[in-house]
Amino acid sequence: MRIVAEHLSYIYNARTPFAAKALDDVSLTIEEGEFYGIIGQTGSGKSTFVQHLNGLLRLPSSLKRKKKKKGKGVSPVLRVGEFDLSEKKTDFRALRKHVGMVFQYPEYQLFAETVEKDVAFGLLNFAEKGKKPSDEEVKRAVWEALEAVGLDPKEYAEKSPFELSGGQKRRVAIAGVIVTKPEILVLDEPAAGLDPLGKREVMDLLHKFHGDWCKTVVIVSHDMDEIAENCTRAAVFSEGKVVKEAPPKELFRETEELSSLGLDIPLVAKLCEALKERGVKIECDFTEDGFINAVLGRAALRGKEGQA
Amino acid sequence: MKDVAFGQYYPARSFLHNLDPRLKILFLIAYIVAIFLAPSTNFYGLAACAFVLILAVIFSRVPVLKVLRAVRGVLFLLVFTALLNVLFHGGETVYWSYGILRITREGIIFSAILALRLMLLVTFSSLLTYTTTPVALTDAIESLLTPLKWIRFPVHELALIMSIALRFIPILSEETDRIKNAQKARGADFEHGGPIAKVRAFVPILIPLLLCAFRRADELGDAMDARCYMGSKNRTKYKKLRFSWRDIIAFFVGAALITGVVLIRIYLGAPL
Ligand SMILES: Nc1ncnc2c1ncn2[C@@H]1O[C@H](COP(=O)(O)OP(=O)(O)OP(=O)(O)O)[C@@H](O)[C@H]1O
Ligand SMILES: [Mg+2]
Repeated sequence: MRIVAEHLSYIYNARTPFAAKALDDVSLTIEEGEFYGIIGQTGSGKSTFVQHLNGLLRLPSSLKRKKKKKGKGVSPVLRVGEFDLSEKKTDFRALRKHVGMVFQYPEYQLFAETVEKDVAFGLLNFAEKGKKPSDEEVKRAVWEALEAVGLDPKEYAEKSPFELSGGQKRRVAIAGVIVTKPEILVLDEPAAGLDPLGKREVMDLLHKFHGDWCKTVVIVSHDMDEIAENCTRAAVFSEGKVVKEAPPKELFRETEELSSLGLDIPLVAKLCEALKERGVKIECDFTEDGFINAVLGRAALRGKEGQA
Repeated sequence: MKDVAFGQYYPARSFLHNLDPRLKILFLIAYIVAIFLAPSTNFYGLAACAFVLILAVIFSRVPVLKVLRAVRGVLFLLVFTALLNVLFHGGETVYWSYGILRITREGIIFSAILALRLMLLVTFSSLLTYTTTPVALTDAIESLLTPLKWIRFPVHELALIMSIALRFIPILSEETDRIKNAQKARGADFEHGGPIAKVRAFVPILIPLLLCAFRRADELGDAMDARCYMGSKNRTKYKKLRFSWRDIIAFFVGAALITGVVLIRIYLGAPL
């Protein structure tokens, strides 16, 4: 499923004194199979954008748009696969089955007595009417999901989600979303508040899902290393607009613009910069492995020159 | 939910917004007294009250439609009591009668005055909440209740509870939205099904919300401890309430209104 957004705008509390423009004419296309990153300063509209992707926030309905169209030229478009989200009649529950969404701090959405019941929540909700999955099927799917997020089902399935650690809770919450095998998985800062090791583990998990469980992954993140390391492409949000969209390889080549937007740059890009100032130009894609290979490659070259 | 949070506060810069909230509360009390002191046999007194209300609306810069919307909430009550009064009040000049029901000239005037009173009352009080934030209101109530400290009434604690509750409403409402969205993303359905299904659908929201509220309360308690909060003793205020020239003007307007209404009652109390 491909995601196409054109001229998307969103205002919170519209037509009140508290109105806040969160999205301003955003146009993006996310191809199937991508590992897509969304970065930007706090308050730049990232969460607002991703909440549109499964219809939690809606565009103005097409009727209203037609009325408005006379005044303004462009009308917003948002399509996810064959779903047209600007249409009021769209079956949003069916859409949500295909677009899984993991919110910031998802562990705060847990509610059931046992981990197994909580993970099964989505599965039972999305089951078609009259075709309730058997207990066997549910159990199998839940166990599979728990295994996928790295929790041993035998040990955790019967536990209360509230007696787990923060990181474990988050895994349960992620399992509760991926259990329906959505085609697109959207994650809003999935690693926020975890320690470096926990972050790494979550990112590794996402790689495991990508392609196999979920064709497309869209991830909102503040961690540039994460973006550089994992994403096929990334969009930079600033004050509700997309100011840049490129693969990390190109995105982090020019670091000044990012810094002026108040964004960090990946460690590897900083290293490349520092080396460049000292006269060593390194061409790499800003992943750790890429960097190491590039440096080793140069070292090997030097070695050969030295021997000659 | 959010509406409760901001109260109906309408942010603007105006004479009324800048008044001391204590004075606004006192003024409201004076206004209510004036409304009921006004003679109930003719309209002169209430006309004076209405005049003050119009002045207040003008100087509040709150859109007139918004002010009128406050009346909508009590419209049913208004119409209902007016109708009852018209039918049952009785009087001498009878226009129409059926059994015990009688529409009289006195009845009509009486119910019109009653309706007018209610309307003035509601509109004026809503003007107070339009121009004063809930936090300022609590501050003002605390300050006005200070004399009760003499009889060891925990005024400060009461005000603190009020302002914490007010502060938590928007937080919890935001949290509710977030949890609701998260469960919706997992296919939860809050719109369809019978009443029992609907109530059951709220369990996945209620439990995380309760947990969140307890967690927040714990955190707030810790934060207050960490900053050595000890209750009201020797506590100073960040925003000190001070009377200014505006308040003096408002005070005189209020005093003039009451005096005027009393004079009207004495000299112009004759029934229409
Ligand atoms: N529920 C809401 N009501 C009113 N305004 C909101 C609401 N949610 C967000 N906003 C406003 O919309 C803008 C964009 O918010 P959004 O949550 O999309 O930012 P973000 O990029 O996700 O930030 P962060 O990195 O902090 O999560 C902000 O200016 C914010 O103040
Ligand atoms: Mg966000």
